[in-house]
Amino acid sequence: MTHSLHRSGDIESQKKDFNWFMYQTKGVNDVGIKPKALAFIAAAEAVGSENWGDVKTGPITRFSSEEIRDNISDKSRIRGVFTRREQVIEFLKNIKEQALGQSVVITGVLSEVLPACQAAGVTPHSINYSLGVWGKKDLLPDEVTLSITTMCGHHMIPPKFVKHVMQQVGADRMTPEEGAAKLSNFCYCGIFNQVRCAEIIKDNIETL
Amino acid sequence: MARINPDNCVGCKICMTYCTVDAIHHDGKKCYINQEECTECYVCLRQHVCPRNAIEAVELDGFYKQFQHVMSDPVENHGVTGVTGRGTEEVKTNDVSGRVKKGEVGICIDMGRPGLGVYLRDAEKVAMACAQAGLQLASATHTPLGALMPDLSTGKLIDECHDSHLLSVIIEGKCPESNLSNVIAALQNVETEIDTVFSLGLILRVDANGNNQALKCLDTLGVPMPYRGKVNVGLGIPLSLD
Repeated sequence: MTHSLHRSGDIESQKKDFNWFMYQTKGVNDVGIKPKALAFIAAAEAVGSENWGDVKTGPITRFSSEEIRDNISDKSRIRGVFTRREQVIEFLKNIKEQALGQSVVITGVLSEVLPACQAAGVTPHSINYSLGVWGKKDLLPDEVTLSITTMCGHHMIPPKFVKHVMQQVGADRMTPEEGAAKLSNFCYCGIFNQVRCAEIIKDNIETL
Repeated sequence: MARINPDNCVGCKICMTYCTVDAIHHDGKKCYINQEECTECYVCLRQHVCPRNAIEAVELDGFYKQFQHVMSDPVENHGVTGVTGRGTEEVKTNDVSGRVKKGEVGICIDMGRPGLGVYLRDAEKVAMACAQAGLQLASATHTPLGALMPDLSTGKLIDECHDSHLLSVIIEGKCPESNLSNVIAALQNVETEIDTVFSLGLILRVDANGNNQALKCLDTLGVPMPYRGKVNVGLGIPLSLD
């Protein structure tokens, strides 16, 4: 799955949007992963990961940290969000030092991610480059809606619900942060950047 | 399978706001799910959106319905690959698995993304175009769509699955870097023949600075250079050096 790769929207906004991942390889290091998963979570929390989760339970915007940790199994996928390059650097330094042996992936704007790798002393092995959207693009929702829905790459966020939240915020029935948290709950993986989402809502409530 | 129990539905239309592909409709009195459009993503069920609990899960009847659900609901693990989401490994464990080696390019075509969904007949068109251009399509061991593709050299899917509507499915394969231009050109042609969208990813081994010269062919083809990437930072053990 490439659920973090194809985010859209203003590039400056995307520069404040990183995803971190721990991955196990089938048949190599996919048994007894819980201690390593807990080490990744601790490293991410130490630098203030704004959202994280496990697809088997859900994100911390909806479930407690303890509940997510307790439910970790070998089928889990642990991942989350950073909003600053400095967090990525410190996280990578920490994980490298622990030599946990799991695959680590950072997704984001390359002009931010690659310098972060260099600063952390890690060497990129492979990159999945996004070449964007092809085909009947006129069928897609508007750009603002897409900039929010693509933060859940599995597309669990219905475009009509984005409009609904925008309208609620516009009518002062909820704050942008409350709206972003509601949208975040649709993304079971914990890779939705609710901080960026709140900014997008603030910047666009007049236009939708 | 998700359905709306007409005995409980009061026709309030709340659920329509929560459908990822607009498959919930209103007949003037009550809401119903168009089963041909529904992708079985289960968002309407998991979010408990109906105040009258009218939305129900009914047992998925048959292989294609189950395939549709597993592909559309990221909570499910795919039975063969063991991977959640859309069930593929792509770049995320390449530092250990070494699936895409130096001199090769992995192609990752997320059919139906972002958010439109895909009928498998359109996935077949794209897969066949890529196979014709020399892409070696991934087998069912690596990617779920391979299970519906009896002959990987053609990319043709079994006929019975054509009308299945999925939230997304990934066509995955690889080719020598020297053949990347042919595959991209094939995608430029076939993108006009489908009734949906796809998001395209290129997986490459990179140098210490995160570069690969194979991307230069994109300029010739009029494709903008990528600015986003999913970077495998090479901390997996044992590290594949190929």
